[in-house]
Amino acid sequence: MSPRGIGANIRGLTLVIALAFLVTSFGAGYWTLVAAEELGSDPFNPRLVAAIRDRPRGAIVDSAGGVLAESVKSGNGYVRRYRDRTLAHVVGYASFKYGTAGIEAAYSDSLVGQDPADPLASWRARYLGERDAPGAVVLGIDPKVQAAAAGALAATGRRGAIVALDPRTGTILASASLPNFDPNQIVDPATEDVAWQQVNGNADRPLIDRARSGLYPPGSTFKIVTGAAALESGVDPDAKVRVDDPWQADPSWGPYHVRSASRAHGDFTMSDAFRLSENIYFAKVGLQIGGQRLGEYAQRFGIGAAPRCDISAAKGQLSGTGALDRPTLIADTAYGQGELLASPLQMALVAAAIGRGGVMPTPHYATEVRDAAGNTIRTIAPGAAGQVIRPDTAARVTQMLVAAVSGPGAFAFGAKIQGVNVAGKTGTAENPQGSPHGWFVGFAPAEAPVVAVAVIIENAGQGGVDAAPLGGRVMQAALGR
Amino acid sequence: MTLLFRRADEMRLLVWVAALVATGSVAVAAAEATSFDRRQLLIPVVFVALAVALHAFLAIRRVRGDQLLLPLASALTAIGLVLMQRLQPDDTPLLAQQLTWMIVACGAFAATMLIPRDLTTIGRFKWMWALLGVALLVSPLLPVIGREINGARIWVGLGRFNFAPWEAVKILMVVFFAAYLEEYREVIARPRRIGPIPVPPVPYLLPMLAMWAIAMAIVVFEKDLGAALLFLGIFLAMLYLATGEAFYSLIGIALVALGGYVLYQTFGHVQVRVDTWLDPFHEEMRFGAGYQIIQGLFALGNGGLFGAGLGNGMPHRIPIVWSDFVFDAFAEEAGLAGAIALLALYLVFVYRGMLIAIKAPTPFLQLLAAGLSFIIAFQTLVIVGGNLRLIPLTGVTLPFVAYGGSSLVTNWMLVALLIRVSDITARVRGTP
Repeated sequence: MSPRGIGANIRGLTLVIALAFLVTSFGAGYWTLVAAEELGSDPFNPRLVAAIRDRPRGAIVDSAGGVLAESVKSGNGYVRRYRDRTLAHVVGYASFKYGTAGIEAAYSDSLVGQDPADPLASWRARYLGERDAPGAVVLGIDPKVQAAAAGALAATGRRGAIVALDPRTGTILASASLPNFDPNQIVDPATEDVAWQQVNGNADRPLIDRARSGLYPPGSTFKIVTGAAALESGVDPDAKVRVDDPWQADPSWGPYHVRSASRAHGDFTMSDAFRLSENIYFAKVGLQIGGQRLGEYAQRFGIGAAPRCDISAAKGQLSGTGALDRPTLIADTAYGQGELLASPLQMALVAAAIGRGGVMPTPHYATEVRDAAGNTIRTIAPGAAGQVIRPDTAARVTQMLVAAVSGPGAFAFGAKIQGVNVAGKTGTAENPQGSPHGWFVGFAPAEAPVVAVAVIIENAGQGGVDAAPLGGRVMQAALGR
Repeated sequence: MTLLFRRADEMRLLVWVAALVATGSVAVAAAEATSFDRRQLLIPVVFVALAVALHAFLAIRRVRGDQLLLPLASALTAIGLVLMQRLQPDDTPLLAQQLTWMIVACGAFAATMLIPRDLTTIGRFKWMWALLGVALLVSPLLPVIGREINGARIWVGLGRFNFAPWEAVKILMVVFFAAYLEEYREVIARPRRIGPIPVPPVPYLLPMLAMWAIAMAIVVFEKDLGAALLFLGIFLAMLYLATGEAFYSLIGIALVALGGYVLYQTFGHVQVRVDTWLDPFHEEMRFGAGYQIIQGLFALGNGGLFGAGLGNGMPHRIPIVWSDFVFDAFAEEAGLAGAIALLALYLVFVYRGMLIAIKAPTPFLQLLAAGLSFIIAFQTLVIVGGNLRLIPLTGVTLPFVAYGGSSLVTNWMLVALLIRVSDITARVRGTP
């Protein structure tokens, strides 16, 4: 028997080769057509950024029309100039070498005159090389509130973040994070490499926007969530609950006890527990309603999911496994420790939802995109994320949060504003890095809030007590007082 | 006047190639320079003159072989030259170098057409070719002449010039296998079977295992995945061509997978290649090992259906774009349409080569032509697949197009060999 003719084998091999070429063509089609959109908007793609050098890029302005970023003609091209270092994380940077971040990344198309709301402009730019002069991206940042937030944070001399938003619209009014960096250094070819090395090599991680990407245990600010869950699970807020420090549910907890911040012995209502931030009260209530119910409410308030936002924000976590399945974990989570992690932005949203009658807003930094002539191309006004708790529950929690600021012996007294009802809650987050972080979340006026705020001061001396006055100053600025 | 019409199809097609190189060259010059430099005209003129000279040479020698291969290879080389003009950095005259290499390649082409007088005799010296191949393969490891560039020690340097010997070895290998398999294919193709698994007679198995070992050795000592993969590909393809035993190829692929896994576990450079392929966008890869492939993908994404237009892309963001990533650069500016047209040129080339192989009068010539065509197909698929992130990136050259002298010269010799095989067929069969 002689082997099959070589000719037949050649035909077989040629067929395999032809198929491989077909697959390769599909591969080329995938990247050039299907994935093109995603690749084109990747913050590291130098193509949109290239426009920085050859053509002016659109301006980024605040709500009062103040310029935050613009392209300035210099020598052999355009250079990006940033005006407010305290907004470095929000505005971001557009570097030819290191890509883009912040608004510069999220609205990259809009800033080169190719806003997605205007597909014709993108098409003309792509195929005809006719590019519209870029317009501007307008942010909701209010310069007065921003100045108050940045000033208050800088005065602490610590790492931390403050974010303020309008609960009615989700518009972010101010956002400050320390340490920050100078974006001008990152976009300047003369300094870019050194600056990039410095910000990336720095152990304090100045590139991270702690306001939206910093993840911290929320501490007692999370009691707002536990309280809302309890109210909707039939817990009577006026019933007295016995607190004796230290406390454990049963001896199976071994040496583990929940501790009271004030070493309390006494009977507490929910309002008392908010005002004096009583851990044992909330641990007991958390165990009473159960881990599943508590976890469900945490999820409703967005804990463990990234908020839908025009600049990507970090998602926190409910627990390592995503479930509350052990009594000690439920107890610890109920007063904001356990394995909980949340960003200041997320906690500001929690406060905003309470203030807005249980409706959680969708956060956004930009409010509109304008063309070169100043006409509005697109308004950015995402609707609410949804009703997360009942209005009456929200009203009841608000009442207790007002008392937590202005009631006798209230921990959050520092957030008081003359003549305005402020609702708020402090938090002291135990963390493995050192002394506890200080939290404050709140909103004002309590009856019809126009501002919600979250403050975190890393390794603050006295925890939440240090953070509350900062929140007060920022809300005061937002109220124009 | 009969001289003009002796290879009329070839001449007609070369007119299109001339149009291609002229428009490409002018488009790049217009897109890049603000003022027109007359020296730019020299490029299409010199190139077209070379192609026409080769055509005239074949016509005068009354070569009756295939008339499509020369225009196809010229078109691909033309695209390569236009891309070199487009991609050359300010400090390195890639275009002038590549054009110079093209002149050398023309000489090599003509020499291969003339020597030896009888092509079928080269099979007799198969063991000499094998020895020469091994010697060439080992040469980069020698002191003084061996050089390491971009992490791969596959170069032999003479003064200012660097050669990659494996480019020549690939042809020697096909010649050796064609001759070896012509002699022993009856034995190898009728193995004893254990169940469905064929077991070839042991003495004939040894050269195969030697091949496998050599390929692995290249990866380990010369750190070049591309050449190793190409050699293994040639080996498996020719074994299949000679025997029709798909099981051999399957066993071979299994051995490659096993070898690949072991190498991945033991050698850093293999691991980096694979990890980069799997997730180049990973935070730690973006500005490191993954940078090149990511920039290549960005270029592709900018291509769209019809491309950004010559001179309108940003191919320079891809490091060493002119050698490893010419395909992505071309696809950015010529779009999917251009990319598929380029792939089609290769496929037509391979198809013609395979057709020549099928018609060839002796098994040796059949295996030779098919093996040579396979080289072009495999190299194209491996590097384009790597550029498209379909497979891990390996450093083989895109035939005729990518920058590189050794590659251009050997590929033109390959074209000459294919034309010679078809010439023999035409003479034996008496067809024009």
